[in-house]
Amino acid sequence: MITFENITKIYSGIKAVDNLNLHIEQGTIFGFIGPNGAGKTTTIKMMAGVLRPTKGRIYINGLDIAKEPSKVKKIIGFIPDRPFLYEKLSGIEFLRFKAGIYGVTGDSLREKILYLLNLFELSDWADELIESYSHGMKQRLIIASAMIHEPRVIIVDEPMVGLDPRGAKLVKELFKEWAGEGATVFMSTHTLALAQEVCHQIAIVDNGRIVASGTSEDLKKQAGVEGDLEKIFLKITGGVATR
Amino acid sequence: MRIFKLLISPRFIGFKNSLKKSQSNSRLKILTLAGTGILFWLALFFFTYRVLAYFSSQEMIGDILARHLLAMVFLTFFSMLIFSHIITALSNLYLSQDLELCYSSPASLAELFLSRSFYTVIDSSWMLLVFGLPVMIAYGFVYSAGLNYYLSLIYVSFPLIIISASLGIMVIMILVRFFPAQRARDIMMFLSIILIILLYLLFRFLRPERLVNPDAFMSIAQYLGALKAPSSPYLPSHWATDLLWARLTMYSGSQILNYLLLWSTAFAMVVIDIWLAGLIYSEGFSRAQEAKRRSRAGKRILEKIVSVITRPLGPDTTSLIAKEVRTFFRDNSQWSQLLLLGALVVVYLYNFSVLPLERSPIKSIYLQNALSFLNIGLAGFVISALSARFIFPAVSSEGQAFWIILSSPLSPRRFLWSKFFAYLLPMLILAEVLIIYTNYLLKVTPFMMALSSVTIFFLVFGIVSLGVGLGAVYPNFRHENIAQVATSFGGLVYMISSSVFIALVIILESGPVYTILSSHFRGEPITYLQWIWIVGSFSLVILLIILAIQRPMAAGLKAFNNYEG
Repeated sequence: MITFENITKIYSGIKAVDNLNLHIEQGTIFGFIGPNGAGKTTTIKMMAGVLRPTKGRIYINGLDIAKEPSKVKKIIGFIPDRPFLYEKLSGIEFLRFKAGIYGVTGDSLREKILYLLNLFELSDWADELIESYSHGMKQRLIIASAMIHEPRVIIVDEPMVGLDPRGAKLVKELFKEWAGEGATVFMSTHTLALAQEVCHQIAIVDNGRIVASGTSEDLKKQAGVEGDLEKIFLKITGGVATR
Repeated sequence: MRIFKLLISPRFIGFKNSLKKSQSNSRLKILTLAGTGILFWLALFFFTYRVLAYFSSQEMIGDILARHLLAMVFLTFFSMLIFSHIITALSNLYLSQDLELCYSSPASLAELFLSRSFYTVIDSSWMLLVFGLPVMIAYGFVYSAGLNYYLSLIYVSFPLIIISASLGIMVIMILVRFFPAQRARDIMMFLSIILIILLYLLFRFLRPERLVNPDAFMSIAQYLGALKAPSSPYLPSHWATDLLWARLTMYSGSQILNYLLLWSTAFAMVVIDIWLAGLIYSEGFSRAQEAKRRSRAGKRILEKIVSVITRPLGPDTTSLIAKEVRTFFRDNSQWSQLLLLGALVVVYLYNFSVLPLERSPIKSIYLQNALSFLNIGLAGFVISALSARFIFPAVSSEGQAFWIILSSPLSPRRFLWSKFFAYLLPMLILAEVLIIYTNYLLKVTPFMMALSSVTIFFLVFGIVSLGVGLGAVYPNFRHENIAQVATSFGGLVYMISSSVFIALVIILESGPVYTILSSHFRGEPITYLQWIWIVGSFSLVILLIILAIQRPMAAGLKAFNNYEG
């Protein structure tokens, strides 16, 4: 469960996010879409505790991230859009490191790491240094590492960047599976087909404000157009709907 | 030419923009840096001036010494310039992030090569201005040189820079032709460190200080033999020395041959470089872009030791310290600096082993204890210098992967203290080895041995805390090379703070220790007032150490809480 209360973020006098209010139920896959510079990544980074809001509060599973950052971060899995990692660690060492700082220990840790490496097709590269991974492999490793502590809320910024079609399919299936098990997925994306396919709820953000939200059907009604999410998006954000 | 100008313009526009947008606190940074630079510059000038003035007061050999010194200075600068150009050429010609954009542009290879070489010259030759100019001006002052000398400095420096740049660029082009750029960097790094260590050890073991004491030699011939500087008429630095020496001593003979040699060599080298670039630069660049080879992570005994030592600290701290150790020893540019550290320690200990204490006019027991006291300060400065290179950049070393820490449940406090403990133990061991072994060589009293060991023990806590704390206050997560972090404004603030801290502790301890030692040697009791003074001073030392541990970490924590990724 995620709640935004009057969230505003101002960078050097410019409002990147403007009085955002949202409530997302547990088990929802929530799509956050909008043009470049609309405030998607800023919103995501505030949820992940990487940025602090200028005003307002964010509650994750009832916990205020500003007041109890460590508790909130323990239940979050954050997947950023750019795969910056510790290049001098191997894949398996990175997963162990991630497990360590999230306090995940125990006899089953090794099995869990091997399972994740296998799931994301990284087993052959487990002992190689991350510096020799491709962009897509790094992205898969980040997704795998976000799963190590079995988070209840997954926050993803552009999940498909750098992934090959097989990786993209795997990620889509995982999102559905996690939501089915009660986890909440909050993702920002430019891939409108992905949002239409997997998201239960979608919000369109422009200039830091939510300009439309709801299910795909709700959005169609709000925009007053028939057709796919692309047409709705272009209509709502002021782009050219048809040529 | 138009494309060449365009290719070099981003650096100038970027520099102009950064000046325009500089806030008041960055202006303060610029002022502090400029102030420190000017102080350093003046210190170098006065030091050279004093040395040259002393030389010129020595009849017969004064001029010979000054000329040899000039030859050595030019040879050193020439070698340093070649080496510096090799390092910067590798980045500018093969590894910079904007190269892909430049390579995909319709610029010709020659324009591209020349624009990157231009960057290389700018990046490398500033040090000649910083380190060279005060020395050269000091020569001009001592020898009352005319305008001709100062103009010649420009005519000489320019071709010397071009020759060294061309040589450096040539070496790197040939190296990258056979090895991928990343590998070439590792090779260069390793070779250069070995070279520096060898030169350093050689210089130290030759004991150059003997040269200023001719009495130590049996005859003048022997002394002049020892003075002989390595030089050759085929070296550009030799031509530069000849030319400038003639200007300094108002020698009336023509210097046209030396000018011609310098300038024609410079032109020839540029032509050869452009020709060579046409043959191999493009291929080398292509190889540099290839994916890094697969490299497996090794299992290390050190990691196992770390894991055992840190286990009681909890899984998060253990993970962080293990990560720190792994990344340090897998980064060739980091661990190879340990070799330098080894050389530094050997020379440090060697110097103490050759101290002629028995020949000193001061009573040996006083001198031994005074030296032991001075030694605390020296060891403290050695530890500070090492901390500036390894501990101050510890927070910045997270680099762009810092989001992992920011988004993790690890508290900022735990993160910073993990960094603190990761570096504390090795620094404590090193400091105690330095202090105890040198005190053993000095044969100091048990009191001084205990005092030195305890003082340095607590000094290291403060030095490490200053390094981690100020490193968090002045982080740079977007560095291309971690060594840059140590030489930043924050690095300078760290070195100043750390030096002041060490100096204050030494000052506070020196008075009471002198009183204790004097009363011991004279057999007189310490008075009541002296006891108050001793207790007061040592209490202040304790307070200072507590503040040095607590304040920087608190400042670092406050800065950390304001970080935004």
